Amino acid sequence: MSNTDARARRRARPPEVRRRRAISFSIGLVLLVGALSTAFPLLWMVAGSFKPQREAIDFPPTLLPQEPTLANYLRLFTELDFGRYLGNTVIVVLIGVFGLLFMAMAGYGFAKFRFRGKGALFFLVLATLMIPVQVTMIPTYLILNGMKLTNTLVGVALPTLVSGFGVFLFRQFMSTIPDEVLEAARVDGAGEVRTFFQIVLPMSKPILAVQAVLAFITGWNSFLWPLIVASDQKLYTLSVGLSLLNQQLAVDPALQMAAASVMVVPVLLVFVVFQRYVVQGFALSGLK
Amino acid sequence: MRRATLVPYLFVTPAMLLLLAFGVLPIGVAAVVSTTDMNISGLANWSNVEFIGIGNYVALAGDPDFWRALGNTGLFVAVGVPAIVILSLAVALLLERSGGRLARALRSFYFVPAVTGIVAISLVWGYLYNTQFGLFNYLLSLVGIGQVQWLSDPWLAKFSVALVAIWRGTGLNIIIFLAALQGIPREYREAAALDGAGEWRTTRSIVLPLLGFAIFFVTVTTTIAWLQFFDEPFVLTDGGPLGATTSMSIFLYKEGFRLNQFGYASAGSLVLFAIIAIITVVQLRLRRRDVEY
Amino acid sequence: MKRSFTRTLAAVAAVGLAAGLAACSTGGGDGEADGPLTVWVMGDSSANFEQLVAPFTEETGQEVEVVAIPWDSIDERLTTAVASGSGPDLMQIGLSKLRTFADAGTLLSLDDHLADHPGLAADNFPDGVAEATQVGGATVSVPWVSDTRVLFYRSDILEENGIDAPPASWDELREVAATLAERGEGQYGYYIPQWDSPLPVIMTWDFGGDIIDADGNVDFDTPEFADAVDLYTGLYADGSVPTNSDFDQTQGFISGIAPMLVSGPYLARSIADAAPELDGKWNVAMVPGADEKTSLFAGSNMGIWHNTDQVDASLDLLEYLSSVEAQLSWFEINGELPAVSAALEDSSLQSDPLVAVYSQQLADSKVLPLVPNWDGQTGSDLLAALNAIVLTGADRAATLAELSAKTEGTSIG
Repeated sequence: MSNTDARARRRARPPEVRRRRAISFSIGLVLLVGALSTAFPLLWMVAGSFKPQREAIDFPPTLLPQEPTLANYLRLFTELDFGRYLGNTVIVVLIGVFGLLFMAMAGYGFAKFRFRGKGALFFLVLATLMIPVQVTMIPTYLILNGMKLTNTLVGVALPTLVSGFGVFLFRQFMSTIPDEVLEAARVDGAGEVRTFFQIVLPMSKPILAVQAVLAFITGWNSFLWPLIVASDQKLYTLSVGLSLLNQQLAVDPALQMAAASVMVVPVLLVFVVFQRYVVQGFALSGLK
Repeated sequence: MRRATLVPYLFVTPAMLLLLAFGVLPIGVAAVVSTTDMNISGLANWSNVEFIGIGNYVALAGDPDFWRALGNTGLFVAVGVPAIVILSLAVALLLERSGGRLARALRSFYFVPAVTGIVAISLVWGYLYNTQFGLFNYLLSLVGIGQVQWLSDPWLAKFSVALVAIWRGTGLNIIIFLAALQGIPREYREAAALDGAGEWRTTRSIVLPLLGFAIFFVTVTTTIAWLQFFDEPFVLTDGGPLGATTSMSIFLYKEGFRLNQFGYASAGSLVLFAIIAIITVVQLRLRRRDVEY
Repeated sequence: MKRSFTRTLAAVAAVGLAAGLAACSTGGGDGEADGPLTVWVMGDSSANFEQLVAPFTEETGQEVEVVAIPWDSIDERLTTAVASGSGPDLMQIGLSKLRTFADAGTLLSLDDHLADHPGLAADNFPDGVAEATQVGGATVSVPWVSDTRVLFYRSDILEENGIDAPPASWDELREVAATLAERGEGQYGYYIPQWDSPLPVIMTWDFGGDIIDADGNVDFDTPEFADAVDLYTGLYADGSVPTNSDFDQTQGFISGIAPMLVSGPYLARSIADAAPELDGKWNVAMVPGADEKTSLFAGSNMGIWHNTDQVDASLDLLEYLSSVEAQLSWFEINGELPAVSAALEDSSLQSDPLVAVYSQQLADSKVLPLVPNWDGQTGSDLLAALNAIVLTGADRAATLAELSAKTEGTSIG
C-alpha cells in the first residue's frame, strides 16, 4: 500500500471515527448518569450511616456527613446484638448451599432423562412460580411446626431453599450438555451419581455461579420466614434486626441506615466479585 | 437420553418434595379453606369452622375493596412491566455497546437496587419521599417548586411506589439481556454494517428480533412478579392512602392477617392464582403462534 | 477414584449434618415444666426487659428468656402461634388487641389464681382498669404499663403568637390552631395523625358522650360524635392540619411546623432525646376538654399463654412484675408508666412535672371499648370514614351512614 493511499484512508476515516467517538462518549455519559442516579439512594444511605444522630434528623438534610462517626456501627454490634444477627444470616445462606445442590439435581433429572410423570412434575415446578406468597404463609408454618422445625435456622431457610425459577434455569443449562459426554462416562462404567458429581457439576460452573449469587441474595435478605419461624430473638436475621429498629417514631435514622448498610454492602461485594460469572451463566443457559 | 429407571426420580425428588410441600400443598390447603368461614377462633379450634361452599367467592365479587385492588394491580402491571422491559433492554444495549471496563464497573451500580433487601429500601425511600423533611422536596424547594405529596396524593402515590419497584426490578433483567446479547454472533452485526446499515437500524432489525426469547422470558417473569406486587406498597404506604396503592396481594394479606378472615383471604388467593395462570398461559400461546408461522 | 469420591460424599454429608444440628440446637427450649420462662415483649430490644427481670432470676433461680417482637409483626406472630398452638409463657398485649387475643383462646383465665396471688388483685390498679380489661367477665390479663394521651404544645411558639396558656377547650384549640397556621406557608397549628383511631373517640368523650351505647353496642349516631366529627373536619377545613400521611410528628414538633398535638409519653422521650435544646420551650397539659377532660387509657397488659405448662412460675413472674419496685424500676429503665396505683403515686415519680400531668390525666381516662377487633376493623373503619371526608371530600352524611352500617352489631359483649 502506498503512502498516498494510507493517508487518504486516514483522512477518509476521521469524520466517521469522530462521529463514533461522539456517540460512544454520549452513551458513556448517559450510562454514568443513569448508574449514579440508580445507586444514589443507597449511596446516600451509606453516607447517612456515618452521621451522628443530631445531624441525621437535621433539616435541611445534608448529603455528606459533616461530623462523621463510627458510633452507630459500634452501637449495632455492642448494644444491639447485630453480630448475632449477622451470624444467623450467614448460617441461613450456608444452608442454602443444599438448595443449590437439590436444584441442580432436579434440573439434571429434567434435562437428561425421560421418565413417567416428567411433564406433569415440570409443570408443577413452573406452577409454583405463580403462587402468591401470602397464601403459603400459614400452611407452611403448620408444616414446619409438624416437623418440629419452628424456631430453628433450618426451619427459617427451608421454605425458600428451592425455587422453581432455579430448577428451570438449571434445566435450561444442562440440556445444552452434550449427551455424548454423558454416554462416554457411562460406557466407562461410572455410576449415575458419580457422573453427576464429577462431570455434570464441573461443567455447570457458570449456572452454579448464577444460582449461588441469587441464592445468596435471597438468603441474605430473607425477612418473612425468619420473622415468622423464629420465636426466639437469638435466631433473628439481619432483616428482622433492622425492622426492630423501625419503631413508630424513628428518632435515629443514622442508626437505621447503619443497620441497612451492614445488610447491603456484603451482598454488593459478592455481586461485584462474581458478576462476570453471573452474566456468563445466563448466557450459556441458552437464553437467546 | 436414558430410558426410565429409578435414577431420575432420585435426582428430582429432594427439590420436588420441597416445592410440593411449600408451594403446591399450601395452594391446595387454601382451596379447601376458601370454602369455609375460618377466622382466628377457627384457627385455634377447628370445630369452630363451618363449610360455606362458594360463599366467600360470592362475597368477593360484591366487595368494592376487592375490585379496587384488582384495578390497582392491573394498572401497576400495565405500567410497570413495559417500563421494566424497555428500561432494562435499553440499559443492556447501551452497556454492551459501550463495552470495556467502564461498562463492567457501571454494571454493579445498576444491580445495586436488586440486591438490597426491601426493609432497607423502604427506609431510604421513605426518607427521600417524605413531604416535609425528605430530600426530594428539599431539592425541589431549592428551585422554587412547592412540596409534592409523593406518598399522600392518591395518584402520585401509585406512581411513587411503582417508581421504586421499577428501580428495583431492572437489575436482574439487565443482566439477563446482557447475557442474551452476548449470544448474538458478531458476524451478523458486522455483515449489516458492511451493507451500510447504521447502528440504530442494525439494532432494530437484527439484534432485537434475535433477542426475542429473552424479551419474552423477561416479560413473562416480570408480569408474574407484578401481578403479585406486594413489597413496595406495603412498606412505603401500607396500601394507602385510603387504598390507592393496595394491590391484590396486600388486600389478601390484610384480610388474612389484620382482619383474620382466613377463609375469605384464601378465596382471594385462589382468584389471584387463577389470574396469574391464565395470563401466563395466554402469553405462552401468543408466543407459540408468533414463532410457529 | 471410587474411594475419594465416597469420601467426598461422606464429608459433605457430615458437614451438612453438623450445620443442621447446630442450627437445630439453637431453638429455645419449649416448655418443659422446668425450663426458662419465655416472655414476648413488644418493641425494639429485649435488653431492657432482661435488665428488669434480672433481680427476679437472682432471687428465685427461675430463668427468663425474653423475645422482642417488632410492633408491626404482632399480627403474624399471633396467627402463627394460634395455628400451631405453641406460644410463649407470658406475653405483653396492647389493649387494642386484647379482645382479639382473648377470642382466639390464647389467654389463661386468671380468676382461680387471684386468691393465691394477691399482687394481681384488681384493687392494686387504678379504678376500673382491671375490670375494663376483663373479657366476657373473666380476668385474662393483668395491667402492666399504662399509657395515656395528653396535649403537647410548644409554649415558646404559642407565646410568640400571643397565647399564654394552653387551650382549655377543643373550641379554643381550634382557634389557636388557626392562628398558628397563619404563621406562613407550610406552617400548621395542630397535627392529627391519620393513623390515630382513638383521637376521635377522645373527642367524643370530651363532648360528654361515648361510642358505645348502654347495651355495649357500637353507636356512631350520637350528637356528641357528630360534634367530634365537626371538630375533626373543622380543623382540616381551617387549614390548620397537614394533609400528608407521612408527616413526621416528632420532627414536626421540634421544627415548629406543627406545634400542638395529642400524643403519649413516648413522644416526650423522643423529643428529649432528639432535641434537648428545646428543654423549657415545650410542655404538656391535659386534653382540652371543656367539661370533660377525659383521655385514653392505653398501655399494655400481661397475659399467660393458655396451655403453658409452667403456670405457677408464670404467675410468680407476673406478681413480680406487678410489684411496686419492678414497676418503678421499669419506668426508670424504659420510661413506660406504671399501672400499679401505689407505684404511680410514688413521690419519685411525682417529682417529674411531666409525670404529674400524666398521672393527673390517667385519673380521668377510659379504655377503648373492647370490641372484637379495634385495630383491624372498627378503629380502621372509623379512620377510613373520617379520612375519606377530610382528605378526598367524600360526602359527610353518606360516609357516616356507611360507617354506622358497617359497625352495626359490633359489641363488647
